[in-house]
Amino acid sequence: MAAAWDEIRRLAADFQRAQFADTVQRLSERNCIEIVAKLIEEKKLDVLHTVDGKEYITPSQISREIKDELYAHGGRVNIVDLQKIINVDWVHVEARANDITRSDRNIQLVLGQLIDKNYLDQIAEEVNDKLQEAGMVNIPELCKIHDLPGDFLTEELSKRIGKILHGQMDEFNRGVIFTPAFVSRHRARIRGLFSAVTRPTSVSNMIAVYGFQEHLLYSILEELVNTDRLKGTVVGGRQDKALYIPDIYSKTQNTWVDSFLKQNGYLEFDALIRLGIPDAVSYIKKRFKSSKLLFLRAACVGQALVDQVEASVEEAVNSATWTDVQPILPSCLSMEDVGIIINEAMRTTNVQSTARVLGDTVVVSEKFISNCLALFDEAMQHKAQKEVKNNPVFLITEEDLKLGSIMTESTAPSKKEKREAERRKKTTEGSGCKGGGGGCNAREVRVRKTKKKTRRDDDSDEEAAVTPQNRNKHTEVPFMALEEIVAVLEERVCDCPEEVLCELAEHLLRFPVSISTYQEVVRTVFMSSTSSTTGVTKKRSVKDFQEELSNLYNNIRLFEKGTKLFSDETQVHIAKHVLKTVCTDVTNILVNFMAAELMMSVENPNSITNEVRLKILGKLPEETRGPLMKVHNSLNGKAIEDFLTSIETAVEVCGFMLKKGDKKRERKALFLHRQALVEQLKEAEDPALILHLTSVLLFQASTNCMLHAPGRCVPQIIGTLVGRISEEQHRLLTGYQALVVKHLVSQSQGKKREQGEGDSQKEGDEEEAIRKELVSLTSEVKDLVLSQKTTSGAEE
Amino acid sequence: MADDATRKAVSEIPLLKTNSGPRDKELWVQRLREEYLAPIKYVENNKAADNDWFRLESNKEGTRWFGKCWYIHDLLKYEFDIEFDIPVTYPTTAPEVAIPELDGKTAKMYRGGKICLTDHFKPLWARNVPKFGLAHLMALGLGPWLAVEIPDLISKGLITHREQQGS
Repeated sequence: MAAAWDEIRRLAADFQRAQFADTVQRLSERNCIEIVAKLIEEKKLDVLHTVDGKEYITPSQISREIKDELYAHGGRVNIVDLQKIINVDWVHVEARANDITRSDRNIQLVLGQLIDKNYLDQIAEEVNDKLQEAGMVNIPELCKIHDLPGDFLTEELSKRIGKILHGQMDEFNRGVIFTPAFVSRHRARIRGLFSAVTRPTSVSNMIAVYGFQEHLLYSILEELVNTDRLKGTVVGGRQDKALYIPDIYSKTQNTWVDSFLKQNGYLEFDALIRLGIPDAVSYIKKRFKSSKLLFLRAACVGQALVDQVEASVEEAVNSATWTDVQPILPSCLSMEDVGIIINEAMRTTNVQSTARVLGDTVVVSEKFISNCLALFDEAMQHKAQKEVKNNPVFLITEEDLKLGSIMTESTAPSKKEKREAERRKKTTEGSGCKGGGGGCNAREVRVRKTKKKTRRDDDSDEEAAVTPQNRNKHTEVPFMALEEIVAVLEERVCDCPEEVLCELAEHLLRFPVSISTYQEVVRTVFMSSTSSTTGVTKKRSVKDFQEELSNLYNNIRLFEKGTKLFSDETQVHIAKHVLKTVCTDVTNILVNFMAAELMMSVENPNSITNEVRLKILGKLPEETRGPLMKVHNSLNGKAIEDFLTSIETAVEVCGFMLKKGDKKRERKALFLHRQALVEQLKEAEDPALILHLTSVLLFQASTNCMLHAPGRCVPQIIGTLVGRISEEQHRLLTGYQALVVKHLVSQSQGKKREQGEGDSQKEGDEEEAIRKELVSLTSEVKDLVLSQKTTSGAEE
Repeated sequence: MADDATRKAVSEIPLLKTNSGPRDKELWVQRLREEYLAPIKYVENNKAADNDWFRLESNKEGTRWFGKCWYIHDLLKYEFDIEFDIPVTYPTTAPEVAIPELDGKTAKMYRGGKICLTDHFKPLWARNVPKFGLAHLMALGLGPWLAVEIPDLISKGLITHREQQGS
C-alpha cells in the first residue's frame, strides 16, 4: 500500500517536472527572418547572414574565423577561399580582411590574399636555403614559384636580408640576390675572361656563351674597368649592343689605320668597317684632325694623292694632251669618287675651262680636242664634195629653206618624210636596173651604187645607235659615222683607250662647231658645184641633147619592133624590161635636164630613182610637170607604145624635137647595138651572160630586129630561133642552155649546202664536170655569133 | 463539439482503465496512478506543440487539485488560479473546475467560481466513464471554456492585463 502511495508521489513529482520543463519556443522561419531583419534595420543587432541563408554570423565572428583560417592555412589564404569557407558574402569577407590588415601589422593583404609575417619568414627561409645552395636567386623566379608580386617580394626579402637571408641584393637590379661567394666567383670569371679578350666583343654574346648574370656582369665589368684592372672600354652602356673593346685592339687598329694611310695615301671606309670601326667617317675625322683629307663617297684620300692628280691634270692641260687619272688612283675607288677627285683637282688647278673629263677618268685639254677637230677638216671637204655630187636633191630641201630664192613653190617635204624617202631609196636601190641595157654605162653605175650603199649602211648603223641629238643632226647632212670618227682618231691619236676615243668622237659629233663647219663646207661646195654644173649644162648644146634623146627614142622603137615577134606573155615581160631600163634612162635624162635648170641636176642621170624623180618633178613648173608626170607613170605600165606617145608629148613640151628615124639611121642603130653586144660578148665569162648575149645576137641576125630582153626570156628567144638557124647550131644552143640551167641549179644548191651541212664529194664532182663542159662549149657558142658576124657582115 | 486541434490533442491523451473513486482504497491508488500518467503525457504533448497552458498539482491523497491556467489574447498573457475537488462519485461524476477570480464576472459560472461546462461535456464524459480522466477534463472542459469566455470577458473589460493593471 505504502509502495503504491510512493509511486503516486513519484508520479506527482514527475507531473510537476513535466509541467515545469522548458517549453519549446516555436517560431516559424519566416518570422525569425523578419525579426532578425527588423533588428538589423533598427541597428539593434549587428549580424550577417551566410550565403546559403541558414546562419547568422557576427562581424567579429568573421574576423575570428578569418584569423583562424589564416592560421590553419599556414599564414596565407586567399580571400576567395575564405569566402567559400566562412560562407558569407565576399564583400564582408574583404571588408573584414581589410579591417584585420589595418588592425594587425603582421597581416597583409596581397593580391587578394591574406599573408602573415610568419609565412613571409618561412618563405625567406626557403629562399635562403635555395640561395645558399645555388649562390643566387632570381626574384622573378621566386615570384613565379610563390605566386607573389615582385615588388612585394623584393621588399619583404630585402627587409630580411642579413637576418634570415644571408646574401646581398644587386644594387642596380633588385631582382637578384647573390651570396658573396657567388659574387666573387663571378668576378673572378669576368676578370679572367675579359683579360683574355683581344678583339671587340659583344658583351651580350659573352653572357650568352658563359652564362653570366647580366647585371652583375655589367657592374663588375664597370668596376674592373674603372679600377684599371681591365685595359679596355665598354661601349654602348648597359644594353644588348654593349661592346667591350680591349685597349690592345684599339691600339692595333689605330696603328693599322695610320700605316695604311701613310703607305697608300687613302683610306677606304669599307676597310675600316671591316676592322670593326662602325662610324668610319667620324673616326677618321677624329683621328686625323690635323691632316687635310679629301672625303669621298666611299673613301677618303690624302693630300699626296690629290696633289698627284692635280699635277697630272695640269700637265695634260699645259701640254695640250690628255691624261688618264685612273692608274694614279687606287683601284678601289669607285667611278663616282674618281669623278669627285678629278673635279676637285680641276677646281684647284683652275683648268675647268680648258679641260674636259671624258670616259669618267680621262682629262682632256680643250686644245687637244680642237686639234682633233682640225684633223677632220680635209675629210670634211672631200666628203662634202662627194655628197653634193651624189644627191643634191637631198640638199635642196635644206638649201631652199636657207636660200629661199629659186624655188617658187616650196613644197619641201618635211624632214621626216625625207628621211623616209631616203630609207626607201636604200631598200629599192638593190633592185635597180640590171642587165645593163645602156651598155658600158651600166657597170659604172653599179660600182657607184655599191659605194654609195656602203656609205649609207654606215649611216643607217649610226642611225640605229642614235642618241636624240644625233637624230637631230641626222636630219641635217650627216658628216661621219661615230665609228668612222673613232677609226680616224685611233689612227691619229695613238694609245688612247677605246672608250675615251668613243666618247671623244661623240663629243666631236656633238660639238656644235664641227657640225656647223661641216654644214658650211657642204654649202660652199654645193654652191660652187651647182654653178659649175649649170655652166656645163648650158654649154652642152641643146642639139647634142636632142640627138641623144632621139637616138634613145629610136632604139626604143626598134626594141618594140623586136618585141612584137614574141608571144603575148613574153611580150609583156620584155616590154616591162624595156620600160624599166632604157625607157627609164630616157626619162631620167630628160628629167635631169629639166632639173638642171633648177640647179638640182645630178651628175649621173642614171642614178635617179623613182622617188628622186618624183621629187624633182614636184618642183618643176606646172606646164612641164604634167607631161613628164605622164611619162613617169607610163614607166610603171606594160606597153611601150604608151610610153612612146607620152614621151613624145613630153619632149615637145620641154621644147625639144625628136627626130624620127629613117632607114639609114635605123640600120646604123642596129649596127651599133650589135657591135656593142659583140664587144660585150667577147669579154663575157659568165656562161649565163654568154648564152643571153648569144641568143640576142642570133635573134638580131636572123630577124634583123633589135631585142632588149631580160635574162629569163632567153628560153623563149631560143624557141623563136628554131627554123632560123641551122639544126646543128640550135642543138648546140639548147645543150648549152641545159648546161647553164644545171650550173645555176647546182650553184644555188651548193650555196644551200654550204649553209647547211658539208657537201658530198660526188656532187662537187658533178659540178666540176658541168663547169668543164661549159668551158669547153663556151668558145663554140661564142663562135656561133662571132663567126656569123662575118657571114652576116658579108650578107650586108 | 470541440475543434480539430482539441480533438487531436484529446486523442493523444492515454485513456484510463481503472474504474474507482477516492473511496475505494486500493483501486483509487491504481486509478490515481493512471490519473497522473495521463496529464503528464498531455502536458508533454502540449509543450511539444508549444501549447502549454496550465499548471496543476494535487494534495497527498489526490482528492484535491489546484494550480493555474493562462490564456494569451492580443499578445497578452492572462493568468488565473484554478482549483477543484475529486467528487466522491468520481469517475462517474466529472469534477467541477473553479476559477475563483472570475466569480461573478460571467454568467457561465456557478456560485463559488465553478465554471459552467457546456452541454456537450457532460454526456461526453458520461459516455466515456471510466476512460476519461483529469487530463480529458482539462482538454475538453476548461480549455474550450477559457477559449470562449476569456476573449469575451476581456472585450467587456471585466478582466484586464495584470501588468497594465499595475501600471
